[in-house]
Amino acid sequence: MGVAVSRLVPESAPELNVEIRKTLLDSTNHAANFLLDLQFIAPAGITVLFGASGSGKTTVLDCIAGLRKPDAGQITVGERALFDSKRNIDIETRHRRVGYLFQTLALFPHLTVRQNITYGLSTVDTAVRESRLLEIGGSFAIANLFERRPAEISGGERQRVALARALVTRPRVLLLDEPMSALDRVTKGQILDDLRRWNEAHAVPIVYVTHEREEVYALGNRVLVLEAGRLIADGTPHEVLSRPQKESVAQLAGFENILDCTVSSHHIDEGTMTCRVEATGIDIEVPLTRVSDGAPLRIGVRAGDILMATSQPQGLSARNVIAGTIVSLRQQDFTLIAEVECGTRFVVHLTPAAGRALELGPQKPVWLVIKTYSCHLLQ
Amino acid sequence: MKRLGKFLLVSLIAMALGHSAKAQQITVAAATDLKYALTEIVNQFQQRYGTKVALTFGASGNFFSQIQNGAPFDLFFSADEDFPKMLADLGMVDKSSLRTYAVGHLALWVPGTSLLDPIKLQMNLLTQPSVKRIAIANPQHAPYGRAAMAALEHYGLKDKVRDRLALGESVSQAAQFVQSGNAQAGLIAVSLAKSPVMSSSGKYWEVPGEAYPELKQAAGIVSRSMQKKAAQAFLDFVLSPEGGAVLKKYGLTPPTQQ
Amino acid sequence: MILQALTLTLRLAVLVSLILTAIGLPLAYWLAFSRWRWKFLVEALVSLPIVLPPTVLGFYVLVAIGPLSPLGRWYQALTGDSLAFTFRGLVIGSVFYSLPFAVQPMAASFSAVDRKLMDASAILGASPWLTFWRIVFPLSMAGVLTGIVLSFAHTLGEFGVVLMIGGNIPGKTRTVSILIYDQVQSLDYAAANRTALLLLVICFAILAALYGLRRNRRQTMWGWQ
Repeated sequence: MGVAVSRLVPESAPELNVEIRKTLLDSTNHAANFLLDLQFIAPAGITVLFGASGSGKTTVLDCIAGLRKPDAGQITVGERALFDSKRNIDIETRHRRVGYLFQTLALFPHLTVRQNITYGLSTVDTAVRESRLLEIGGSFAIANLFERRPAEISGGERQRVALARALVTRPRVLLLDEPMSALDRVTKGQILDDLRRWNEAHAVPIVYVTHEREEVYALGNRVLVLEAGRLIADGTPHEVLSRPQKESVAQLAGFENILDCTVSSHHIDEGTMTCRVEATGIDIEVPLTRVSDGAPLRIGVRAGDILMATSQPQGLSARNVIAGTIVSLRQQDFTLIAEVECGTRFVVHLTPAAGRALELGPQKPVWLVIKTYSCHLLQ
Repeated sequence: MKRLGKFLLVSLIAMALGHSAKAQQITVAAATDLKYALTEIVNQFQQRYGTKVALTFGASGNFFSQIQNGAPFDLFFSADEDFPKMLADLGMVDKSSLRTYAVGHLALWVPGTSLLDPIKLQMNLLTQPSVKRIAIANPQHAPYGRAAMAALEHYGLKDKVRDRLALGESVSQAAQFVQSGNAQAGLIAVSLAKSPVMSSSGKYWEVPGEAYPELKQAAGIVSRSMQKKAAQAFLDFVLSPEGGAVLKKYGLTPPTQQ
Repeated sequence: MILQALTLTLRLAVLVSLILTAIGLPLAYWLAFSRWRWKFLVEALVSLPIVLPPTVLGFYVLVAIGPLSPLGRWYQALTGDSLAFTFRGLVIGSVFYSLPFAVQPMAASFSAVDRKLMDASAILGASPWLTFWRIVFPLSMAGVLTGIVLSFAHTLGEFGVVLMIGGNIPGKTRTVSILIYDQVQSLDYAAANRTALLLLVICFAILAALYGLRRNRRQTMWGWQ
């Protein structure tokens, strides 16, 4: 969790323990019903819940907050059970002491910033309320906005106000649902800083839901990947996203090329296998795994891991050299994206300078170079 | 603006919750043919005796239903004898108080703008091509409507004019239909035809008495009434010579005369 | 006479509006937020007075409160008075008659409130009651006011129901609309004109005042406490 800083953090900060089983109904398409079935423990600190839309992330948060009810399972914070289907416990939302920041923020439009923030403090006595208000106003730099209404402040300011409102009640658990989606890079950075600072000062489990890779890296020590209602990965961001085991995570993690192959032979001494890319004559060498000959396999290759040459390269260490023709070229920001037809389509990322230097253009014959270790085996 | 609104609101609420002052009065349900006659009689009565009389006019049949259902009238002046008798049989009207107070007469009335002369044409007026609609009271709940239908049948006109009939809920509504020009002719009460408004805006011909059963009109005191003494006093006044004079003025003949 | 009828009519409209606010708010809340599967039946029931001819409605109210009905007889025993053909009977009939005009705008504006705001309120510790008063109600003021104004206006113009269950008794059940009808029947068009004009002017003034209040409120809605 970082450098030791003197703080009043109890040794045994309460953990959030979540176990949920719930059938999610798609009201328009019955075939799309799926089962949410997961179990995880979130200790004090930030746990990122990562997955595509529709994977059930928001439902998990809603269940923790008590807005929705699991069919079975239990949700506890330390010793206190918020929900337990076996013991028939289902604490009402307002008694759960959970902070929840919605994607839409849900600031009360008819109340001022001050009234919004102090909304959850009505049971607290005035002196304490004022001091907490000032404290959070200071640490989030929103004190000058207190008398304004949400419609009168900027998007970034609204985000901070919403976060302040959730935190000022000193919740035992904090839930954040894609809180940065509408923000620009700079503001995002500021708010992430605010959040991290707050996180260091309070020992509270924080569940942060997102589908943005950058946020995962920026925030979490721990990432849980959710797909179609199940947790398919659990680890550090690096573990989960750099060496993804599942295709869905792979796509999320940025593998632009996914190849269906069949294993043709193993080379145990060399630590590689040869695979034939289906419906083509291309053979590629990939890292060795325990898979029998003839078995189907999926390989992911990042577009940024592929080298391009305009003449057939010689004396290279890379094991995979594939001939092809450029189909299209387009520039996006500072990346030149090339589509190359080799029997199967490859997407390659280059620098514009490289494109100019090699005089790349459609119809140009090229060679693609892919290292063995750039080929990632997907399940 | 806000304060004005609040004031308005508060005063409206105060008014709504306050009670209206209760005046000593009797409530009389009366057939619509008595509109002008009874109003005059009431004025005289109130001046003489002080008791307030609240008049409600409507079709006799409607009053029958209402009184049967407990409507809080003290006195009922019907345009026939049957309705009060039926109510007495049901115990809703005091049998001993039943009195026939007048005999009504039917008139054929035409607006002044009409080119047709009812006195000359008499019932044949109704078959004229320019008479597209004929107003009568609804025979179902108005005795004058029943009389009108009987008269039409007597003259053999019932089938000829059936599809041209416009039914008024009461005989006064029938009068209103024809007076406003919505109907070109009407079979209404003589007592209405003799009113200032009607007589100055049209002309009428009194339908002979043998064309329809005699319109004997009876009244009675409602059993549930809490003001029976006052009601009896008023009923007696109507039956007195002064009352009879006013009734006669409007063509409502005393029951003994033919 | 006009004054008496006018006072009576205004009294009726104000009382009915007050009663419908008291009944309408909880009913509208339930309609907006309940998830009972048979809720649609209640919705249809509430809307019934809109499509039923007033005379039909009046007839059934009469049957329900007349001296032959259980309710009528109970009232008779309690007070010695009948319920039908009285001002009280009119109030009851008018409450049914104007019910959907109060409830529907209120329910519509309640359900238009963002559910997430209500969730946020619960998460911050507010009970459903507090959530209603601090969040839902202030944000649906427009709809609530519309409901009150509509039920008021609707009751002012009531005729068929009043005719059926009122008995046209001056000072008790002779509302302005009945009075005008009476005056026309008496061929006293001048009086009918005067009465109608007076009602028109008063209705307009009241509605203008109420809408004026509402307009101000919207502008300062963010200052509502």
